[in-house]
Amino acid sequence: MTANLELQRVNERKGLRGFANLRRKESQSWWGTSRWWINALLWTVLLCGLTAIMLFASNDEVTQATEAEIAQAGGLIAYILSIGLSVFFEFGAPMLAIGTVILAQDLIIGEKQSGVAEWLLSKPVTRRAYVLAKVAANALPLLILLVGLPSALVYGMLSLRIGALFPLATFLSAVGIVTVHTLFYFNLTLLLGTIFNNRAPILGIALASVLGGGILGGFIEPLFYVTPWMLPKVAWLTATSQLIPAEIGIAALVASLLWCIVFVFVALAKFEKMEF
Amino acid sequence: MNQPDKYVIETDGLGKSFGDVQALQNVNLRVPRHSIFGFLGPNGAGKTTLMKTLLGLIRPTAGSGAIFGYDIVSESVRIRERIGYLPQQPHFIEQMTARENLLFTAKFFFSGPQTSLRARCDEMLELVGLEEKADRSIKGFSGGEKQRLGIALAQVNYPDLLILDEPASALDPLGRQAVLDVMARLRKYTTIFYSTHILDDVQRVSDTVAILNRGQLVTSGPIEQILNGKEGVVYTLALKGVPDGLGKRLEELPWVTNAKVDSNNGTSVWQISVSDEASAEKDLLRYVLADPALTVAQFNRKKYELEEVFMEIVKGDGNDR
Repeated sequence: MTANLELQRVNERKGLRGFANLRRKESQSWWGTSRWWINALLWTVLLCGLTAIMLFASNDEVTQATEAEIAQAGGLIAYILSIGLSVFFEFGAPMLAIGTVILAQDLIIGEKQSGVAEWLLSKPVTRRAYVLAKVAANALPLLILLVGLPSALVYGMLSLRIGALFPLATFLSAVGIVTVHTLFYFNLTLLLGTIFNNRAPILGIALASVLGGGILGGFIEPLFYVTPWMLPKVAWLTATSQLIPAEIGIAALVASLLWCIVFVFVALAKFEKMEF
Repeated sequence: MNQPDKYVIETDGLGKSFGDVQALQNVNLRVPRHSIFGFLGPNGAGKTTLMKTLLGLIRPTAGSGAIFGYDIVSESVRIRERIGYLPQQPHFIEQMTARENLLFTAKFFFSGPQTSLRARCDEMLELVGLEEKADRSIKGFSGGEKQRLGIALAQVNYPDLLILDEPASALDPLGRQAVLDVMARLRKYTTIFYSTHILDDVQRVSDTVAILNRGQLVTSGPIEQILNGKEGVVYTLALKGVPDGLGKRLEELPWVTNAKVDSNNGTSVWQISVSDEASAEKDLLRYVLADPALTVAQFNRKKYELEEVFMEIVKGDGNDR
């Protein structure tokens, strides 16, 4: 065999051996396939389409509103914006969470079941690198395509509707809250992939949280402080510059961010102990 | 004590249990450097568990193991830098072609110009005879082609040790032959540790063999030694004539450990176990021929087929099926 002097041994940090190559492979599964534009199109059409209907063609909704409601919103335009933002944030954030769960459910379990994880881990790859490459390479396209792109278009539509730039800081704050909400469900799904060996419990638990969390919080209110269940509403309130019950908004946001970190650490610990 | 210069793999009392099930028990294995080490055992004997334990995919629950002198638990990544592994059912990134899979795998080990990486991959494709299919989708590959691609992927880093789990068992005779040929070609570059239950293959390509049964290492050593059977060196003598008192006279020889006889149609067939092969080779026949009443019809050293040894060991271990 010919020794090739031009090739050097990979020199990576010991604890993250294999990370760069795995991250490239994961990124490739987004940007190197049709997956990116399908998702970009799907979420943009779904979220921006519904928001556009509310912003530009919601005559029925407006005519059903009482004058008091319109006055309370600060006028007709403000009322229309409020409805549009409600659709985008209150309805859109849970939809994005569902999409995230569906897109991320297979990341670990799929490779576990097909034997690809076993094969990859027989290479000089640390388990930490394997999990972190999944997080790094998938969180970014999810946030760009599912949250970033529709948000940018909705911002344009809002500005168009009012004939001036919509307050950027306010809008970005609301988008930031949706980002945390989406990230929470991404990390939760990833963690569940390290715990379970089939998709049913992953989907069951994650989707139950998205769809049933609000109901559960209605019975046990303190749960709203430590879960992301109120975040869609908080995002809407933020976007419409309405008063947010600070103790709920901030606590839920901080708790969700902490959960995101905890989920990654627990996923790392679980994956470290996993046998293939 | 580890001797990485002599042995690539060394385990001491290695054990693995899954709940109450003891998958591996007190495995003491030594795989000599530059050997083709055939690892035999019936289904469920623990062969795959042992390989996965060596690779760090499974954690041992008892004992210890080292590869190249590195601990299999705490220094697993260093070990895997120098290993190639072919799982029982090879896995690939399905959306990639054979060449892309090789390139992806090579990047776990090497960095450098893309052209050099590609050259390395081409070399591997040539090694396993898949140049023509390098850019085709893996989905259309036959079992044998997948297996050969698996070997190429395992070999892409020029490993010092190749671990192959049942590399030929699911293949037709042609596919099996192709895989065995590749193994034979690789023997001068690397140590090959492979599991199988195809005894014929082991006898054809291996120089060292171990037999695992019910999670325990039953025997291990050079194939010549294993083929001598558990009784050690045995000579077979077929004699015509009346061998009066021959058995007693033979057992008086200091290097004869046992002499058994079966008689049939005036011919007696002797199985003579000896402890000193050189003395037996030199004197045994001469000693028997000294009796003028006897004619030697046949004299040879008894050779077992691996299958006989395997069946004897596995059945003797209470694994009749």
